[in-house]
Order: sequence, then C-alpha cells, then structure tokens
Amino acid sequence: MDESIQTVWNEAQTRANEAYYVQRRRITVDPITRLEGHGKIDIFLNEQGEVERAYFQVPELRGFEVFSLGRPAEDMPQITSRICGVCPTAHHMAATKALDDLYRVEPPSPARKIRELVYNTFMLEDHALHVYVLGGPDFIVGPDALPEMRNVLGVIQTVGVDIGKRVIATRRRLRELIAYLGGKVVHPVLGLPGGVAKGIAPEDLPQFQQLAKEALDFALFTLQVFHDVVLKNSAYVDLITSDTYTHRTYYMGLVDEKNRVNFYDGKVRVVSPEGKSTPSSPRRHTWTISPSTWSPGAMSSSVT
Amino acid sequence: MPDKPKIAFYWCASCGGCEESIVDLAEDILEVAQAVDIVFWPVAMDFKRKDVEAMPDGSILATMVNGSIRTSEQEEMAYLLRRKSQILIAYGSCAHTGGVPSLANQFSKEQILRYVYEEAPSVVNEQRVRPQPRHQHNGTAVTLPEFRGLVRSLDQVVEVDYYLPGCPPTPKLLKQAVLTLLSGNLPPKGTVLAPDTALCDQCPRKETKPTDLKINEFKRPHWTQIDPNTCFLAQGIICMGPATRSGCEAQCISGNMPCTGCFGPTSRVRDQGAKILSSLASSVNAREPEDIEKILDGIADPVGTFYRYSLAKSLLRAKVTR
Repeated sequence: MDESIQTVWNEAQTRANEAYYVQRRRITVDPITRLEGHGKIDIFLNEQGEVERAYFQVPELRGFEVFSLGRPAEDMPQITSRICGVCPTAHHMAATKALDDLYRVEPPSPARKIRELVYNTFMLEDHALHVYVLGGPDFIVGPDALPEMRNVLGVIQTVGVDIGKRVIATRRRLRELIAYLGGKVVHPVLGLPGGVAKGIAPEDLPQFQQLAKEALDFALFTLQVFHDVVLKNSAYVDLITSDTYTHRTYYMGLVDEKNRVNFYDGKVRVVSPEGKSTPSSPRRHTWTISPSTWSPGAMSSSVT
Repeated sequence: MPDKPKIAFYWCASCGGCEESIVDLAEDILEVAQAVDIVFWPVAMDFKRKDVEAMPDGSILATMVNGSIRTSEQEEMAYLLRRKSQILIAYGSCAHTGGVPSLANQFSKEQILRYVYEEAPSVVNEQRVRPQPRHQHNGTAVTLPEFRGLVRSLDQVVEVDYYLPGCPPTPKLLKQAVLTLLSGNLPPKGTVLAPDTALCDQCPRKETKPTDLKINEFKRPHWTQIDPNTCFLAQGIICMGPATRSGCEAQCISGNMPCTGCFGPTSRVRDQGAKILSSLASSVNAREPEDIEKILDGIADPVGTFYRYSLAKSLLRAKVTR
C-alpha cells in the first residue's frame, strides 16, 4: 500500500479504536425505570474498569412553581396534585394545609379526621405500590433476576397468583375509599381551606372500619413477605448491607406528643444515623414573601 | 402459536397519574397481561429506549402516550413511537389537549428558566448556572434535551389515531378501549374514545340545573357551604360541566366539588374555554355594563378556570405578548 495511504489508514484506525473503547467504557441507562419521573444515567469507566465519573440527568421540567403564580390559592390543592399522579394526595394535602395557614383557620375535628383517614389510606396504598410494583420487584424476584422479571408480573410469578390477587384487591379497595372521600383517587378534590368538601355517611362507616382491619393484616402480611423472601435470603442480605446499598442517613418525620408517627400532621422529629433524636420543633415555619415580587405581572415587566 | 400483540406505554411531560389509571385496572390487569405483550412501560418495566429503537417499524400494535410535549426528548420519543406503532393513542388530558402543564404557555421559556434556576425563594445559584444541552466529558458528551418555547399536545407533534380523555382517563374507559383495539373493529381515525355528550347529561345533579340559569354572583367554592344535591352553577359556583365531555361518571361531583373540565370538549366544540365563557356570559344576570363587570370580576382566574387542561389546544394557545 502507498505509504501516505498507510499513514492515513493507521491514524483512522487508532481514532476508531479509541472511540470504540471510550464507548465501551460508557454505560447509559435510559430511561431509569420503575419510579415516577424521567431520568438518564451515564457512567464513565476508566481504563481499569473503575467508575471515573457518573452523571444523573433529569430531562424534564414543567414549571409548576411558575405557572401557579397569580392563581387563586384555593386552586392549589388540585393544581399542585398534578405534580405527581402517584402521590397526588401528598401535594393535595400539603396545599390544603397551606390554605389553613393562609386563612388562619383550624379544620373542625371531623374534617381533620377525614383528612387523616384519606392520608393514611394513601400512605398504605402508595407504599404497597412501591413494594409490589416499583422498587420491590428488585427485592422479591431474586438478586440475580433478569431485567424481564423485575416488574409486577415477575412478582406475581414469584409469590403466586393468589397472593398477587390479594395485593391487587386490597390496593383497589383502599383506593376506592380515597375516591369515596375525595371524588377521584388520582387527583382528589376534597381539600378546602379549613375543611373538606364531603363527609362520611354514618351507614358507610362499618365497611371502612372493616377495611382498616384488613389493611392492617395486609401490611403485616407484606412485612412477612419481605421477611421470608428477602431477609431469609443471605445473598439479598449481603447485597443490602453492603457499602453499595447502605446509606447512613438522618431520618425526619412528623410525630404526636407521644412520639408516635402521624403522617398527616405533628411535630418535626429528626433522628441521627446512630439513633439519637433531636428535640421536636413546631411544624410552622414562616416565609415572608412579598406578593408583588413574584407575580406574573412583575415578571413580564422585567423581561426584555 | 402466533405472537401476542404488542402494547407500549410512554409518558412525556406527565405526572404518572395516567400510569396509575392503568394499574387501577386492578384484577383486569391480569387478563390484559394474558392477551398482550407489554414491550415498553417505564413506570413498571425495565425496557429501555434502545430496545424500542431496535424494534421493527410498525411492530407495536398500539402505544398509549400520555403527557404533553415540552422538550426535544419528548418530541423524539413521540416520533420514535409513532414509527414503531400501528396505532398511536393520546392518553389523558396532557396528550389530548395539553393538560395542566400547558398553563405554562402563559409564560415565556426565559421567564420559566430564570425563575426555576435563579429567582425561586429556595434556590441558591449565585453562578446562575443553567442546564446546558451538551456537556463534554473527555472525548464524549452527556446531553440534556432542549426546553421548547411552548407546550404542545401530542397531535400537534405527530399523527394521532385515537384519544382517551381525562386527568386521568378512567380504568373503565381504558378497558373498553383495549377491548376495542383487540377486537379489530376500529372506530374512525381521530375518534375520542368517550361519549360525545356534555357532562351535564351524566351528572347526578342534572335535575337541579336550571333551564334558564341566572348568575348574580360567582362564588369561589370555599365562600359557601356547598349543597351536595344541587347543580353547582345554580349555586353560583363555576362548573365546567356544560363545556366538558362526559365519560368520567362525574367523580368530582360525587366528591362534592365542581367539574374542572379535564375530559376536554365534545367533538362539536373547537375551543373549550370559549364554549364555557359563552355559556356563562349568557347567564350573567345584569344589563348595565358596570353591573356585568362586577359579576365577571368574581372570576378570579379565567385562563386557569376555563382552560385549565386545554390551553395548548385553544385557539390562542398561549399568552400573546406584543
């Protein structure tokens, strides 16, 4: 081969091989799955095959914090719930409580109890979704399971159709309770400043009391599944307790005066990684925000 | 043994509520899983974008895409799934008419990015760093999509075959749609797969809706004790029922709150907000301009009330700035 052509060929080959190895040392996960939201992960390995750099990219933005400005405060429970359709109740309840603060009103006791009932029911069905559909599949179908198995259908295959049907039925009934009180379960409508839009008819109470008992059984049952399938499997335990997955962190939650958890409201309690808790402080924080600074009117006049 | 038909689900500028409505098929989901192969569903399964790219064109029977189109990545996924699918269904309000995220069309891209990354009260960003579409790393780059200037519905980007309306659609409507798809008896292209009547038709409070509605005052829902048995409009509370397609079984009404319009308009209406405006305006009980103004002043947020889910599909589509 002519020498000049050989040189070009060698250069091109070197560049192509380099590019090939750079690609080989790049792992892309797109999209991330089994959670609410969009994400992309790029991991770059060095020549020794160790992680040199990792990027977590969020390829979405809708701008709720902007397009909510200037809107009636009482619309916020239903608008902010659209931030997330898996946990709309959380946004709805937070916005409703903000309305209580705004108008300086305390909901009457039945309204508070209804809100607590809706919220606790939501916590149960949402956590059930996480265990059986979102994160749980990684922990139930086996630590070396193929990607095709890591989903709710794989979970049902592993635990059996009867258990699968029990999970589905319980979650359905819990969500029907939320829909009873909130109109819809995805994007409920009950929140009003100082109260809720709908009460519980006394004749409907017994079925919900029965559901609460069965839901408690179901929660204990799920703990047992975790025990039997995950904690009894030493491969899983080794994985979970390894450096890769263990995250020593603080915990923060809401508690009542006896330090019992209350998801709807309470005092803030923070617990350190060693298990030490700092004194609980009141929930209320005051933001002083001048309404004129962040209104659409002010914004449009400042855009050139 | 012939392969099962392939179905896919995807989400654009979405909240995941439409995904939940699919899971809310509850026991029926087992039947669906027997009848079809789900080949892409990021909320519940680990298939990746490159798996979709590797599929032959047209090999997916039907893909249901929810969420509106805000970024270039969502446009790419819309084009990709359109190519790979025989039938493309716009699932939910956002894909159908723009949804709540299309309220962002009242703001410019710069206003949004500046507030989100610099001005919001809880943001600390002294360097005023903004997301960049490309970031170099050694010989290669990581990328982020472009944030577009407008939110669009799915059919403003690709050709859509059917629509399932609602925020979210009900599991019942979804089940009907799946059965229709599998039956092969497809309705005309472009059909919205929900009844073509206004919600007032289905509303349990229908009997108390006055034929000759007279509005003296618009009441915000928390200003009054809401009567659980009377038409909202008759109580002076704005309800989007007259301008909204039925099919939802009036769930919000059963929660004792008015309809906010998530099922979009019927087929006879081009602009949902204009439709309700015209209906309410004709009911305002005043003759003198000042009296009319006073009553209309009771509407605190016209765009957010009348176009909450449909700004992207409205005639004006966005805030017009001169």
